[in-house]
Amino acid sequence: MSLAIRNLAKRFVAPDGSAVPVIDVPSLDIPAGQHVALIGSSGSGKTTLLHLIAGIVTPDAGTITFDLPAAGSTDITALSEAQRDVFRGRHLGYIFQTHHLLGGFTALENVLLGMSFTNRKADPAWAKHLLTEVGLADRLDYKPGKLSVGQQQRVAVARALANRPSLVLADEPTGALDPTNAQQVLELIRKLCKEVGASLLLVSHDLAIARQLETVLTLSDINRASKPLPAPALAPG
Amino acid sequence: MNPFQLVLKQMRQRALSTWLTLLAVLLGSALAVAVLILQRESRALFTQSDFGYDLIVGSKGSPMQLVLNTTYHVDKSPGNIRYIVYEAIRNNRFQVKHAIPYAVGDQYKGLRVAGTTAALFGFDEFTGQPPAGYDDKGKLLPGYLPASTRAEDRPADAKVAADVFEIRFGKKFTLAQGRVFHPRKFEAVIGSEVTDRTGLKMGDTFKVTHDTGGSSKLDEHDEEWTVVGVLDKTFTAEDRVIYIPLPTFFAIPKHEEAMDVQTAMQTGEDLSKFDKSKKPATTTTAPATTQSAPATAPAAPPPAHAHDHKSDPKPTTRPTTTQATAAVHKPDEDDEEDGHDHSHHGHSHGGMKYPYLINRDGTIDLRLPKDRWMLSAILVRTRGGAANMGLTYQLANSPSGAMGVNPASVMREFFTTFLGPTTLLLLVIAVMVAVTAAVSILVSIYNAVSARQREIAIMRALGATRGKVLSLICLEAGVIGAVGGFLGLLLGHFVARVLSAVFEARMGVQLDWLSTSWHEWVYLGSIIVLSVLAGLVPGLKAYRTPVATNLVAA
Repeated sequence: MSLAIRNLAKRFVAPDGSAVPVIDVPSLDIPAGQHVALIGSSGSGKTTLLHLIAGIVTPDAGTITFDLPAAGSTDITALSEAQRDVFRGRHLGYIFQTHHLLGGFTALENVLLGMSFTNRKADPAWAKHLLTEVGLADRLDYKPGKLSVGQQQRVAVARALANRPSLVLADEPTGALDPTNAQQVLELIRKLCKEVGASLLLVSHDLAIARQLETVLTLSDINRASKPLPAPALAPG
Repeated sequence: MNPFQLVLKQMRQRALSTWLTLLAVLLGSALAVAVLILQRESRALFTQSDFGYDLIVGSKGSPMQLVLNTTYHVDKSPGNIRYIVYEAIRNNRFQVKHAIPYAVGDQYKGLRVAGTTAALFGFDEFTGQPPAGYDDKGKLLPGYLPASTRAEDRPADAKVAADVFEIRFGKKFTLAQGRVFHPRKFEAVIGSEVTDRTGLKMGDTFKVTHDTGGSSKLDEHDEEWTVVGVLDKTFTAEDRVIYIPLPTFFAIPKHEEAMDVQTAMQTGEDLSKFDKSKKPATTTTAPATTQSAPATAPAAPPPAHAHDHKSDPKPTTRPTTTQATAAVHKPDEDDEEDGHDHSHHGHSHGGMKYPYLINRDGTIDLRLPKDRWMLSAILVRTRGGAANMGLTYQLANSPSGAMGVNPASVMREFFTTFLGPTTLLLLVIAVMVAVTAAVSILVSIYNAVSARQREIAIMRALGATRGKVLSLICLEAGVIGAVGGFLGLLLGHFVARVLSAVFEARMGVQLDWLSTSWHEWVYLGSIIVLSVLAGLVPGLKAYRTPVATNLVAA
């Protein structure tokens, strides 16, 4: 699945009532199957851009078009909220910076939860396979509280891939992890995305992480509302 | 995970809150269901119209008290009527099919002892023999149809049994053990529950005590009865009654005196002769002369057993019936019936006179003239509506001091006047409790939703629509309502079982606590609907949960 963003704009209302532009992206394309890293500083609109792409929030202007091999092209901004929810559940995987697992659910149940809103039959075998792939085959019945932060994020990765998405949106997926765990999680994300044939859009402020992906974009380059990153941040690591 | 699994999972996450909410619904539902059962059963019980008799004749006064006392054996007898009223009714074949005399006022271990005739059980009143078509247990013989069978339901060659008294329409007394009592012996037939409640069984002998109507001052009579028959269960208050032959009831000396007082009051005689403070107990022979029937009746007869037992002189010694039967005949000085083969006669002991003679075969000769006999009530099966109305009218306008009431209509009035409003009030309370329970669901889930904003946002991010989230919350409320309501239904039936035991202890009748009615299912449905509606409030809160804000804030 490829993604094409055109003239995307989003403004938020400041406390003083003025409209503050946060996203102003004239054009952004992610080819099918490509793994793209988007780097930007805190507050540069990385999460907002992912929310816009996922249909969690709606833009003030512009289009976000997904070209699906089976279903044709879909402009998510033209869908109703319920349609966007269903589209997100079926075609997109989302990995949050903090894992956002449900505390009362086991690792396996958290992954199965990801399958619960797609009107498709749950696939426990696939869920177990994913957890096995992220190294948690012996932790299926563990609740998040009994898992380490790194393990929790692995469960979140497995959950994002539960519906065999076409595009995985990863919002600082390694931001809360130590370098070793961060590297392992990144490798797992990439491995599983390749396994299901999903594109990957990973936003991060960590250049070391971003550089490992095929394409690295700087948010300030594509988002006219974003401030440029300081030069050292972009220097080769 | 299907929605049910999701909901159960989330309920388990906050188990304490869920259980407490469930408990609130459960208790509210149990209360409502118990009230519904109580209302249904009390209505069925008190508005039943299948009495085998359509008229109860008793002393003028409260019809309700008369019916409750006669039919359910609760409350005190409202008063007595003279035996000649019974004779007049029994002989009125134009209007009356069956008339059964009842004399009450004594008890054995808290159970009512009633003097009556074998006709109550469908046997011959005088001989105690079974009528045509019935065996000696009072059961229908093979090949016979009961007389109550409608003509159109009878095959042409059917043999129809004799028309006998039925305690409920189509249901007559039958004996499980033994036989019916002899009409003139100190014998007793006991209801099916008497053995369990008192330990009395076939062959046992017992003495009765005077029922002081709730007072602790009980006075045991000297006479001793032998259990000769046990009735089959009828599932009515009759199952707890001990029946004795009417003459043996009248044979109790203290009854004789009470009846004399009442007779005197009804005939307007001077009552001073009964005042023992003025006239110490002295030897008096049993009245042998017949008093004339009253020309006019007093306005209101006194209550049953109006005599004062405290002031009654106690008999010093007296042979028991068994002893008397076996005793060698020694005519007493005051024996007025020489030439009879009596082993024991009416004689004086310490000033008390026994108004009967015991023959060697155990039968008694009551020396109390019939016009001094008093009855508590007469169960009458009339020949139909017109006969019923006619007899009721005649009684109301006679100087007998008696009245006739239709038990079915009186019980309907009783339900309408007392039980109906009471159970309605209970039902209103139960509904209010149910609403309170629904509000507790609302509060519980509302608080849970407030605490689960992040989880809801995560589910939304995973593809759950607002509608899905709303439906999950409502489903959760509905599950609590359904589970709580159903458990409440079970508990309600258990409570009804306890109430049934109380009913049985007090009135001898059981509630059908096990069966359910459509009212209960409607209530359960209403609880579920109410719960789902209660879930709408927190559901809408969840519906409006801003996803992005809660994902970022988390």
